Amino acid sequence: MLDRSELIRYNRQLVIPELGEEGQRKLKRSHIVIAGIGGLGCASATYLTAAGIGRITIVDFDTVELSDLNRQILYWEEDIGEKKVAVAQRKLSKLNPAVEIIPIFAKITEENVLSLIDEAQVVVDGLDNLATRLVINSACVKRKIPYVYGGVSRLRGMLTTIIPGKTPCLACVYPEASKRGGGLGVLGVVPALIANLQALEAMKLVIGYSPSLAGRLLLFSGDDARFRVYDIKRNENCQVCSQTPRGKRPKNGGKDGRRNREAVYT
Amino acid sequence: MKAVIMPGFSELIITVNPTGEVTREGLLNIIMPWLYAPWPDARGKGVIEMPVEGETLRALLVKLSERYKQANVDFEPIDPRTNDLDFDYDVLINGKRYEAIPHQLDARLGDDDEVKVKMLWRWDG
Repeated sequence: MLDRSELIRYNRQLVIPELGEEGQRKLKRSHIVIAGIGGLGCASATYLTAAGIGRITIVDFDTVELSDLNRQILYWEEDIGEKKVAVAQRKLSKLNPAVEIIPIFAKITEENVLSLIDEAQVVVDGLDNLATRLVINSACVKRKIPYVYGGVSRLRGMLTTIIPGKTPCLACVYPEASKRGGGLGVLGVVPALIANLQALEAMKLVIGYSPSLAGRLLLFSGDDARFRVYDIKRNENCQVCSQTPRGKRPKNGGKDGRRNREAVYT
Repeated sequence: MKAVIMPGFSELIITVNPTGEVTREGLLNIIMPWLYAPWPDARGKGVIEMPVEGETLRALLVKLSERYKQANVDFEPIDPRTNDLDFDYDVLINGKRYEAIPHQLDARLGDDDEVKVKMLWRWDG
């Protein structure tokens, strides 16, 4: 049940037919994990908190630096040197005290990832590198937890919603960690924009409203203010989400072969 | 030159003036089907032939961009503002990274050269 205060607080969204009181109750009962609370994570955490998600776990191992302040809107100058998760918990709790914010000061690794995401309904990407994303992706596939990928550089961003067993996973596209595509700089509004779309996807998943970007890749370019959405397909031989056990894969030849096989000239 | 294009795993694999037949044998299924957008009829065979005026990597990439633009798909490996390779893409010639290719966009392509054009995803947060 929603109490009187909640009916007032969430009034503007309760009147949305796709959400309503039942949807709000689902948000209240939900648990979302935000992996990384930087440019993307600050924005998604803020709006998920404001919307009334019941429990939000935020995971990060970093402290606040001056160079974070152009885009990581939960942190101010007075917070420099503090743990990001601690500052974020404090401010998000002030925004909406009814939301349980669980701060975890940790680096996400293959060893701890399952325990970090185990109780989540959705994992929202707030990371800044491919290697950790692949760790999260693999764990989400294993636990069948939806994972909302978002990534940004300069004035551009990308987003897709990964539903294990149904849509391509991150390893379908990038099976190995790549050094390319990162460290190019970010204008603060771009992660905010992508993160808010991630938050929307996460809320739709929680309330059972079909996520718009499942199996679809959204590309945003701030160069010309253009959004594009393209379908993407699963890699049937993906080492992470394919149904075929690794040991049963053919060692060479044909369409069942492994990745990176080259064209043959006859 | 003649470019023979195969939409690959998540990139375009292009053979320049191939001296033999180019087939998809051994290639994985494609996961970005929109790479076929300018050539919808080629989906069945999976191999596309495209004539290109000029002999350089730049000529090839410009022609590709034109074809995708006609199909209303953003695939523009050369940034028109910098006139250099756009940071959303990686290009390899015969396995050699773009940065290591002499003359880069103005590199001349020879018979059977293999050019890979890969769209990069974004990893910053």
